[in-house]
Amino acid sequence: MSKKINLSPFNRVEGDLEIIVEVKDGKVQNAKSRGVMFRGFEMLLKGRDPMDSVVFTPRICGICGVSHGVVSSNAIRNAWKSQMPENAYRVRNIVLAIENLMSHIVHFYALFAPDLTNKKYSMHPGFQELEKRFLPFKGTSYLKSIKARPSMLELMGVFAGKWPNTLVFQPGGVTCSISISRQTKALGLLRELQDYVEESLLGCDIDRWLENRSMDDLDKWLTESNHYDSDLGIYVRYGRELGLDKIGKGPDRFLSYGAYELSEGQTWLPSGYYDRDVYPFNQEKITEYIKYSFLKGYQGGLHPSEGITDPDPDKEGAYSWCKSPRYDDNVIEVGPLARMILDKDSLIYDIFNKSGSGVFLRVLARLHEAVRLVRQLGIWIREIDAREPFNKKPLVHPEAKGLGIIEAARGSLGHWLTIKNGKIERYQVITPTAWNLSPKDSFDQHGACEQALNGTIVEDVDNPIEVGHVVRSFDPCLVCTVHMLRI
Amino acid sequence: MVNLLWLQSGGCNGDTISFLNAEQPHVLTALNMLDINLLWHPILSLEIGEEVERIFNKCISRKTKLDVLIVEGAVICGPENSGKYFLSNGRPFKEWIERLAKVSQYTIAIGTCAAFGGIVAAGANLIEATGLQFLRKQKGGALGKDYVSGSGHPVVNVPGCPCHPDWIIETLMRLIMGKLGTGELDNFNRPKAFYKKLAHHGCPRNEFYEFKASATEYSQLGCLFEYLGCKGTLCESDCNERMWLGRTGSCTRAGFPCIACTSPDFPDGSVPFFETRKIGEVPVTLPLDVPKAWYVGMANLAKLATPERLKKNAVSFRRVD
Repeated sequence: MSKKINLSPFNRVEGDLEIIVEVKDGKVQNAKSRGVMFRGFEMLLKGRDPMDSVVFTPRICGICGVSHGVVSSNAIRNAWKSQMPENAYRVRNIVLAIENLMSHIVHFYALFAPDLTNKKYSMHPGFQELEKRFLPFKGTSYLKSIKARPSMLELMGVFAGKWPNTLVFQPGGVTCSISISRQTKALGLLRELQDYVEESLLGCDIDRWLENRSMDDLDKWLTESNHYDSDLGIYVRYGRELGLDKIGKGPDRFLSYGAYELSEGQTWLPSGYYDRDVYPFNQEKITEYIKYSFLKGYQGGLHPSEGITDPDPDKEGAYSWCKSPRYDDNVIEVGPLARMILDKDSLIYDIFNKSGSGVFLRVLARLHEAVRLVRQLGIWIREIDAREPFNKKPLVHPEAKGLGIIEAARGSLGHWLTIKNGKIERYQVITPTAWNLSPKDSFDQHGACEQALNGTIVEDVDNPIEVGHVVRSFDPCLVCTVHMLRI
Repeated sequence: MVNLLWLQSGGCNGDTISFLNAEQPHVLTALNMLDINLLWHPILSLEIGEEVERIFNKCISRKTKLDVLIVEGAVICGPENSGKYFLSNGRPFKEWIERLAKVSQYTIAIGTCAAFGGIVAAGANLIEATGLQFLRKQKGGALGKDYVSGSGHPVVNVPGCPCHPDWIIETLMRLIMGKLGTGELDNFNRPKAFYKKLAHHGCPRNEFYEFKASATEYSQLGCLFEYLGCKGTLCESDCNERMWLGRTGSCTRAGFPCIACTSPDFPDGSVPFFETRKIGEVPVTLPLDVPKAWYVGMANLAKLATPERLKKNAVSFRRVD
């Protein structure tokens, strides 16, 4: 028996996604992930002032606009060869970390965990507990996560003024200057956030959680104190019992551009490419394919700095507005799991080596990164020196090429920029979700999420919740993908 | 009980994120306070696929009363008015908007894209994006200039890029309480309560503005109007009085210029974003309601009277005096 399931519109993801899967003998095959909207930012940016990209690109995506702001100003900084003061690196990392942290928490509570209350699990002994915590608008943990949001937002406000769509990032640094008063306020707000994370998410001190350096440590942690009863404790226990570790294995090749620039060329989390071993990352190896995209104009793969975009909504065989980025022609996965693996984070790397990737680990890695970020935020806020500058006025270059690459919440984000006669001649963006949710490429290799879906056992075709778990474990953000800037 | 349906069209979801940022009142408190029943929201709700179309169709057949229709994001009409740039289950999404708008008691455009086209309709607007009832300053849009919802209101426009969460909640409250008559809307159908002010009001840099003590580079403390592109004196919003993110910040508080994101002609009406265009010595972005000759005279006088303290602090990143 074969049944086609068309999940359109998909929900609780950022943006407009359709997932089409065929279920044959209880297993998913031929999954198609479709970005269904085209906004054509490329047309908007061509011919404009380079600084317009700092205004326009954050508006690609309401949830990760900071990362577009950082990366667009980095691309200009790179093109103009401008310098930034030390403080600017700190403030940029702080704002980016807050956005990523908020995104991770919203993802878990509002987008991912509600699926654990699906009727499929109604016979599980923990079902009542899961419902009590994670039901949208009602669950105790769902509500707590929303109530904890103001401390994160206020922290954001201290540095970024407004969000979404702050304009605090400039090629020479940041527009704000942080006085000791603001620093004090920020540390207070961070403490409140830490209290929430420790009380609700972890059930223990952050330092205690970070002592977990292996799967065995994690299992031991579960048996101590009331850890089993925290949200993360519940997730670690029930997530595996519900079989989340058995589904959603991706391509097991991972990429990170390197996250949180500490000074010119140095990052807190390293860049790299993982394919059974770690290799250095080289952006020259990135190409994009359009065989199954509603785009025309070339065959084979093109490096983003030479990318072409020409929409063709009626193209035969195409099924997504998204291009298919590949690294060295391989399908790769990006995101918190990739970052943790490339960092050889002891906890996540150990679980990955023992039991492989999948929905369970992808979500655990995201929460684990969130915890690490809370600690790192405190370090960066303290490192700001209020007596030193925050911005250095750059020299404008009318002819230049620039590259900005960072890690956004969902993974690797790159902007490629060409400036001619002082105007943007070419602007190309590859978003994290383009990496993870891409359609097939010219070699007919499925995208990472499609690969993770294929082979997934669906118990009830009328309630394909397993598909929901797999797709949402990538935290897709289709507003980004389908609105990619392509020229 | 008030049934509310929230659609996302050609946008970035930024207004939904901003709505979730509400804290006075909190977003969930607001929904309870206003007795709102959220029929569906693409990011927040559990329903998926066919279940969603069922909800839409129940509204269209009036089996479910659709009290409030909120649209976030521009209506995408291209290419050649086919709507193929945004399909939902094979069907142009703009058709759902049009059909649902016919049965709603109130229709609200949240954010500048839904209201006026905004960022996705910038430049040559090759994807044929438009607001619900305006394209930039031109009345018409996707629903036509004569459109009124069941209540007799035109589309109520609540622009901002993003929209402030208070503006969303208060607009809902005013409508539900019957306190937002058409007379309370301005020429662009925005509630006057929020858009009859200027972003300039309440700006902490106002003393620098008064004495024309201006910042010349970003991160400095002086006024951003003279050199660094601030449009706060033109932008119709109450941002600097209301403040953002738990009342901790605003654009100018974080040192970057207001870019008038609530304006019908945002973004192209706001360029250059980061520098001030001038004719001679006079910025073209003069305050909306101040006569030019007076402004020039006052500015010259103010410059003569600028206290030393302001002169020094204006061009420093921290207070030096």
